[in-house]
Amino acid sequence: MNRQPPNWANKILEWYCDPDLLEDLQGDLFELYFEKCEESSQLAAQFSFIWYVLRSFRPSVVRKTQNTYINMTRNNLKIGWRVIMRDKFNSAINVIGLSIGITCFILMGFYVQQELSYDQFHSKKERIYRVWLKEIYGEDQIFFNSTTPLVFEKTFKESFDALESVVQYNESNFTIGEGENKMEEKVSVISPDALNVFDFTFVAGNLESAFKNKQDLIISQRFSKKYFGEKSALGQSLIIEMGDEPMVFEVTAVFKEFPKQSSLQCDIVVSNLINESLFSEESLNAWFNVGPETYVLVKEKANIATVEASTQDFVMQHLKGRVEKGEYNIGFQPLTDIHLNKEIPVGIAAVGNAEYVKILGIICVLVLLTACVNFTTLSIGQSIKRTKEVGVRKVMGAMKNGLVTQYLHESLLVTFFSLLLGVALSYVLLPFFNGITGADVNLSFEWWHLLLYGCMLLTIGVLSGLYPAFVLSSYKASNILSGHSKIVKSGFFRKGIMALQFMITVFLITSTLVMNQQLNFLHTKDLGYDYHAIVSLDLNPAPGSGASGLPGLSASAIQKGNQLKERLEQYEQIKDVGHGSHVFGTEGWGRWSYTDEKDVFREFNILQTDAHYLNTFKIKVVQGRDFDPNNETDATRGILINKAAVSYFGLKDPIGSQLPGDKFGDHVIVGVTEDFNFESLHQKISPLVITQNLTPIISAISDFDYNSSPIPKLVFRFEGSNLSNLHTIIEKEWDKTFPEEEMVLSFVDQNLQFLYEGDNKMKSLVFFATILSILIASLGLLGLTVLVVNGRLKEISIRKVIGASQLSIFGMLGTVFIRQLAMGILLSIPITYWFVSDWLEGFAYHIEVGPMPFVIGGLVSFGLAMVVIVYHTIKAANVNPVDRI
Amino acid sequence: MKGENIGELEELVLLSVGSLYQDAYAVNILKVIKDSTGRAIDVTAIHSVLRRLDKKGLVQSEMGGATNERGGRRKRMFSLTATGRTTLDDIMEIRSKLYQKIPKLAFNISLG
Repeated sequence: MNRQPPNWANKILEWYCDPDLLEDLQGDLFELYFEKCEESSQLAAQFSFIWYVLRSFRPSVVRKTQNTYINMTRNNLKIGWRVIMRDKFNSAINVIGLSIGITCFILMGFYVQQELSYDQFHSKKERIYRVWLKEIYGEDQIFFNSTTPLVFEKTFKESFDALESVVQYNESNFTIGEGENKMEEKVSVISPDALNVFDFTFVAGNLESAFKNKQDLIISQRFSKKYFGEKSALGQSLIIEMGDEPMVFEVTAVFKEFPKQSSLQCDIVVSNLINESLFSEESLNAWFNVGPETYVLVKEKANIATVEASTQDFVMQHLKGRVEKGEYNIGFQPLTDIHLNKEIPVGIAAVGNAEYVKILGIICVLVLLTACVNFTTLSIGQSIKRTKEVGVRKVMGAMKNGLVTQYLHESLLVTFFSLLLGVALSYVLLPFFNGITGADVNLSFEWWHLLLYGCMLLTIGVLSGLYPAFVLSSYKASNILSGHSKIVKSGFFRKGIMALQFMITVFLITSTLVMNQQLNFLHTKDLGYDYHAIVSLDLNPAPGSGASGLPGLSASAIQKGNQLKERLEQYEQIKDVGHGSHVFGTEGWGRWSYTDEKDVFREFNILQTDAHYLNTFKIKVVQGRDFDPNNETDATRGILINKAAVSYFGLKDPIGSQLPGDKFGDHVIVGVTEDFNFESLHQKISPLVITQNLTPIISAISDFDYNSSPIPKLVFRFEGSNLSNLHTIIEKEWDKTFPEEEMVLSFVDQNLQFLYEGDNKMKSLVFFATILSILIASLGLLGLTVLVVNGRLKEISIRKVIGASQLSIFGMLGTVFIRQLAMGILLSIPITYWFVSDWLEGFAYHIEVGPMPFVIGGLVSFGLAMVVIVYHTIKAANVNPVDRI
Repeated sequence: MKGENIGELEELVLLSVGSLYQDAYAVNILKVIKDSTGRAIDVTAIHSVLRRLDKKGLVQSEMGGATNERGGRRKRMFSLTATGRTTLDDIMEIRSKLYQKIPKLAFNISLG
């Protein structure tokens, strides 16, 4: 009879089913199977048999395993669960403390991880390098750039065989669109070959279709939506005003924008073939002008070191006679190194702050460590209660290893719950965390997170449970059961790690305080100028005005400014209208350098203003006079310098004299200004030259360096009280004067805030960590005090009966932790000092680390400990002795 | 009565075990329930209910004789225990007591 049910299903049933239940279950299924065969088809019967086999797979049917390990684990976990439930208060403290630590670790850890994972998404990242250029012409005359000459692309390709591709990347702002819909937008200019170097993912068009012609353009998905809506962008055209006239570009591909963790961020990308039309033959072949970044892709079998070794030969081949060997140095930096390497100057790609990432990494580990320490000390404290259990287990034949395993299971269980809570908390707190810190952490789930959580579970659980497990399992059964009073040893380790925990907490409190002081100092320091209610308006020259070159663009902008100034001055709320090439709150003011007649290399910052600028910002002139608006010669030859410049140039009697150097045009110093912090307080005040007319100065200059636009901006003081009123006025006048152009308005005090954005972010993160670690430490203290007090309730009651006062009882309990606390505070001082001094070094102007933060930090933690202890002591001391004895 | 409450399916199975007397095993119980209520219940569900009742001490079981249609495998025969019997009695009593309390009027209204 070949009508048996499917054999494999039967085998599965036999495999999982408990032998006691197998015979009758199997019998029933067979009976039903044969019945079904009679009633309907064999196929249907087979299906239902398989279905029943699957349905029967439930815990009550599955055979009990004979594996000792699994059975013991189950048993250990069961006991662990019972222990947790037995002392709910302590378990809650353990779980909450640990989960706070874990939350902090996850949030900050992911922030750090995110910073470290920049540019990892390029599939050829191992082989991509960015080129840097370091020109060394003497001690003070070093030009170090990660932007490079245009000529590198062509010449590298010819000279270095080991390179698969050499590509360049550049970006600048251009006006896009025509008529009324003009917008200023960042446009990236890249070599067509870059599409093979970096990982562009195309959503429309492809690698082959992009950049076939000179005026092809590829656009990110995001910008395709912005410009063309839902319809396909392919074949559409965009008008970009490059150079003197608008050029029409055709969209040939749409790509997915790079992830946030990318140094390169581009949306509108055109081919660098366009450079031929933008630059003169001379610039294209210049070796001493830097512009784009150059990236190289090394061939698969080749090594970047071989290329590096031959760079000097390459330089000599092209620049023989123009530079000496060792003056013109070319180097390579891995792509993935760009974001956090502070040794190499910032190029076009945005970079992060390696210092902050390092500090945050340390802090997030520290907070987790306090949480673990907490857990450990609490477990040790609790172990006093469990000595009898250990004794009985040992008498029953438990081995030490078995006990250790059991207690480890308990700590793993606690860690597991903390991890669940911690992860949940991280997701809940994420928006809040991102909000206060300005970090942009993204926690969208990825599979490796599970692995991470698994590792955290094991590490935290084992690390914090190991010591208590050994302590517990090392008690001697005979001692415990015979009622020896001194079973628990004084525990050097326990006291040590408690001191460590206090140390970390005090360290974080003190650091937060110092950081706060420093940032307050930054906000309140007299910068040497008044920035309140000062408005700055960008005056980019009108497109199509035909202006080019810095002097031309400036002149065109100034003309615009004067037009607007006339209209604005009729409002009485608007005062002191002036203009200048740079405004406070932006870094990277023009830096000019030249060699004077004694062959000394000189560098200074340059500011081009009108005669009102200093007055607008209320900058003091300490010697001589400010520019006079009615003085014609001031406008053509007068210059002002700051005090730093006076000592830098070594001028004894500056008024009426000239800058050292014989190549300058006709100029005279009419005044000396106070030193004001025109860049952020991270930098020292450098020599500054202020002039209305660039021409006499520029003639001597050999090098320029601008990191912010030198196109003049209109500045004025707004004395009205209503800001929306201000916007209405400016918009009205702007639209009347320049109806087709976009208005860019900013407030100087707001811009100043941006200078310290990173520092503020850092402060919030440390503050966040501090709050958490204070929480954790208080929780730990709370748990320990409760344990100590509960363990000594009888003693306290007897003391009370004999006549001890509340105060003496408090003194007795208070001293339990005092030594560790004092030790922690003491130890934290050198560490904190080292840490904050290191941080303050980053500011040219900073506070001195005084004793106050340390005193406050110590007092705060001391006070916190006292509050917790006092609360419980009072509770203990108020108990009626009758109830306890 | 506390702790002895049983669910509706459990009650049904318990009743079937009682009514089948010496012939109660999973497949038969399944059929009885299907015949009397029209409900087709999965055999695996019957098994798990039986195991639960066994744990509660309401039924007991022993292995019966082998038959050919089961490939020579024995059946597990179930019977009511004394507690099982009492539980059934209690349930019936409560039900009929409550049933008696329904006023005649209620029927009239629902009929009307």
